[in-house]
Amino acid sequence: MLFSYNWLQDYIKEKLFPAEKLAEILTRHSFEIEDVKKRGKDWLLDIDVLPNRGADCFSHLGIAREIAVITNSKFQVPSSKFQESSKLKARDFIKLEVKNKADCPRYTGKVILGIKVGSAPKWIQERLKACGLQPINNIVDIANYVMLETGEPIHAFDLDKIEKKIIVRRAQKGERIKALDDKSYSLDRDILVIADEKGPIAIAGIKGGEKTGIDSKTKNIVIEAANFNQKVIRQGSRKLKLRTDASLRFENGIDPNLIDSAQERIVSLIQEIAGGKIAKGLIGFYPNKVRPKKINLDLNYSEKLLGIKVPKQKAIKILKSLGFQSYEVEPREIVVEVPTRRLDVSIQEDLIEEIGRIVGFQNIPSAFPQAALISPEKNQELFWQKNIKDILKEIGFSEVYNYSFIGEKEEDIFGWKTAELIELENPMSSFNKYLRPSLIPNLLKNIRENLKFVSEIKIFEIGKIFIKKKSLLEKEMLAGILTRKGIKDEGFYELKGIVDSLLNKLGISNIWYDEYQSTPEESKLTHWHPSKCAEIKSDGEEIGFLGEISPKILEDLRIKEKVFVFDLDFEKLLKLVSEEHEYQPISLFPTAVRDLAVLVPQGTKVVTLLNRINSAGGKLVRDVDLFDVYQGREIPRNKENFAFHIIYQAEDRTLSSKEIDKIHQKIIKALEENPEWEVRK
Amino acid sequence: MNPKAIKIEAQKEIKRVKNLKNLDKIFKKYLGKKGKIAQVFNSLKKLSEKERKKIGKETNLVKVEIDKMIKKKSKELKEKERKIQIKKERIDITRPGKKIGVGHLHPLTLVQREIFEIFQSMGFSVIQGPEVETEWYNFDALNIPKDHPARDMWDTFWLKNNKLLLRTHTSPVQIRYMEKHNPPLRIIVPGKCFRHEATDASHDIQFYQLEGLMIDKNISAANFKAIIEEFLKRFFKTKVEIQLRPSYFPFTEPSFEIDVRKEKGKWVEMMGAGMVHPNVFKAAGLNPKEWQGFAFGVGLDRLAMVKYKIGDIRLFYQGDLRFLKQF
Repeated sequence: MLFSYNWLQDYIKEKLFPAEKLAEILTRHSFEIEDVKKRGKDWLLDIDVLPNRGADCFSHLGIAREIAVITNSKFQVPSSKFQESSKLKARDFIKLEVKNKADCPRYTGKVILGIKVGSAPKWIQERLKACGLQPINNIVDIANYVMLETGEPIHAFDLDKIEKKIIVRRAQKGERIKALDDKSYSLDRDILVIADEKGPIAIAGIKGGEKTGIDSKTKNIVIEAANFNQKVIRQGSRKLKLRTDASLRFENGIDPNLIDSAQERIVSLIQEIAGGKIAKGLIGFYPNKVRPKKINLDLNYSEKLLGIKVPKQKAIKILKSLGFQSYEVEPREIVVEVPTRRLDVSIQEDLIEEIGRIVGFQNIPSAFPQAALISPEKNQELFWQKNIKDILKEIGFSEVYNYSFIGEKEEDIFGWKTAELIELENPMSSFNKYLRPSLIPNLLKNIRENLKFVSEIKIFEIGKIFIKKKSLLEKEMLAGILTRKGIKDEGFYELKGIVDSLLNKLGISNIWYDEYQSTPEESKLTHWHPSKCAEIKSDGEEIGFLGEISPKILEDLRIKEKVFVFDLDFEKLLKLVSEEHEYQPISLFPTAVRDLAVLVPQGTKVVTLLNRINSAGGKLVRDVDLFDVYQGREIPRNKENFAFHIIYQAEDRTLSSKEIDKIHQKIIKALEENPEWEVRK
Repeated sequence: MNPKAIKIEAQKEIKRVKNLKNLDKIFKKYLGKKGKIAQVFNSLKKLSEKERKKIGKETNLVKVEIDKMIKKKSKELKEKERKIQIKKERIDITRPGKKIGVGHLHPLTLVQREIFEIFQSMGFSVIQGPEVETEWYNFDALNIPKDHPARDMWDTFWLKNNKLLLRTHTSPVQIRYMEKHNPPLRIIVPGKCFRHEATDASHDIQFYQLEGLMIDKNISAANFKAIIEEFLKRFFKTKVEIQLRPSYFPFTEPSFEIDVRKEKGKWVEMMGAGMVHPNVFKAAGLNPKEWQGFAFGVGLDRLAMVKYKIGDIRLFYQGDLRFLKQF
């Protein structure tokens, strides 16, 4: 909010600090000053008044009061002098009816007759302009001026245009009003209005109506200074999408007692500038007068909370300078009476904040707590996350953090059903309409963008996904993605090896890969290549998937390379991981390697051969290593050749070549039991 | 032939020889099966026993000496040849190194690791919480009632058809944790948060926040200052100054804004903090008369931006390897 330096000076007896310096002091003790700008002979301070201080500081007087306290200067309130006519009585000119005191705790109307509408004096116009308001005419400008000065929004009606009576009530559905901004608003029960006997003449606390506005012919006026329920004004302002200087102030709450000084001030200014006779008294409604609260303040607690000693007399003095009266009740306890303008102060902690900020938070010394030594809990999830990230990084994967959203486009490309997705009520755009149901779409986007600059991409992400089951499910996943220019099926095996290493390092054994037969309704799997996808299982439970991304999706995303992905359920991994690890003794006896080549029909799964070799070979076969897969020349069509290294080793002796031959022959025989398999000798 | 003469002859030839191949020839000539020394031994039969003994002994000595000379020469020649060879071998050390495919961790991960370590060493546990929250935990329990203008401080993404929202800060975890744990307690809470606001270089619809909470019988603002100064000093690895100034958060009273500056630098607004509001204790089921403490919230993105001099928050969430590879 903008404040004029020269205007603030009016209320301080001593000369103010230079604008920049003043800004610094205010920032330390009251509010942040976002900007200081020179404007002619004046400076404008853009003050970020905290939302809880709107009631007393959305005004030049409020800010000046703060300045007076923190710079130890004298605060001076402008005097209001005016003369009321003893013959004219306000209530003879207009009646008032407030329907609900909860909506409108206080209402006042002052009647002035025979004013002269014209331009406001230059100094008023200048000050309004400095604060961003357009001058209109002397009456309206004075009303705005008093609002900027005191914080009380004020509205002026043309008395002669009001039908008999001012009524404060909720609007009825279907009612409309043409406001002073020349726009027409349709109203309903949620909106509070000022009406006369014919209909609404103002949207209460937000905007005046055109019908009863001040024009050049206006002679007699009613000055409204009222207090409206902040929630009602907030609700109305949101509903009409209309925020004004008045509504902003009402929304944040205003002290109903502020009306007294504001009325006196505006009436005196109008009489001085526009002339006229002021009718005696006012039309008023204030059934429950707000009185100052009293709070007990324990000074020991204040010291304990701030960590700084503030002598009692100093605390009392600070509070007094802010307008809080205190009485001692105990040696270390005082009762504090809170001025009604301080809507933000209701508990003793609020008073402690006042003392603290005026003393200066920067003057609080640093002191390490004296507390019991507790060692922090180990966070298993983060511990394993860290492990996984380190392992993947070692393997050459880089970590990405993506947005937690997907858009309509992804919904379409990946074929999710809307019913499965978590939709936002208020997305920023169609790009973030849903919460991501998988890490894969955004990882694919990373692939597409990075392929423009690099030829190989290995990235991973750990993050939450969101799916709609019976209720909303928020679940941590780990996904990695691999591609490079010209990559073929080997990418699958590369990634499979990476998953093996990763799981192995996490102490998860007993992993196998199962062919995945997707059922048509499992639409979540449509992003996989139908015949190049495996289910990763451990202990009989699916823990994730490994596979190639469906060519159709890649085409839709305009990715030209094959892309391989693993997608693991992090929470399931967490149940399987183990830090336990036992050393396996290294055999002291030599290994012997024999090679074996088998001709098999195309499409034979290696795992079937491996199983046969291992079961025939028994425990002396330490390892079987597939080192070549060949099809082509020299090999019959529809056949392919698998070549293995078989590694033999015993734990307790050196194997003789006779012994090895015997096992090797046994393996060959076992393989050839399958008539389609031919061991090449 | 006289062994001494053989020795002198061999000595001359060995001295003159220039390469290993010729040295080998010399070896054969003198020490080979049919070499001169062997010939001398063969001729010994013809001599008397006395002479045989004498010349035999002499010849043996000569044989050992020639062998020594040849070995010595061989060593010299090999050394010489190696030097020549090494002179020929050369590489261009200015050629680029072979690229190794190392991976990189995200800067926000790196920053978090550092922060966790610092706080854990001061006894803080790292706690997490859900990203989708209820209105109660995100607002009401934190003393931010419905229809209160304070709610405007947090522009919120709401989910459709249920009253859930994407958490706008990590503060809900304060409540969740205090509900289940009795003080004294010290936690930090890292996590992804969301704001429904226009994006620019310093704002994005998602960001990472770190929440801190320390509760005990006597925890004061002075304690907060010490802990946070220690953290900042260790995080930025340089002396930092902090400035506390008044602020407003519904869930703390008093509330502070913390500005930080490195040596003689500019003040940078870094975090919000304050002493936990009694209503927050009440909402979490604790007695505010018994406990007090501080809470703070700091943007992890912001810390990383200051640390690495990154100018745009959105770079964190683009997955651009040209960016990520720098960490």
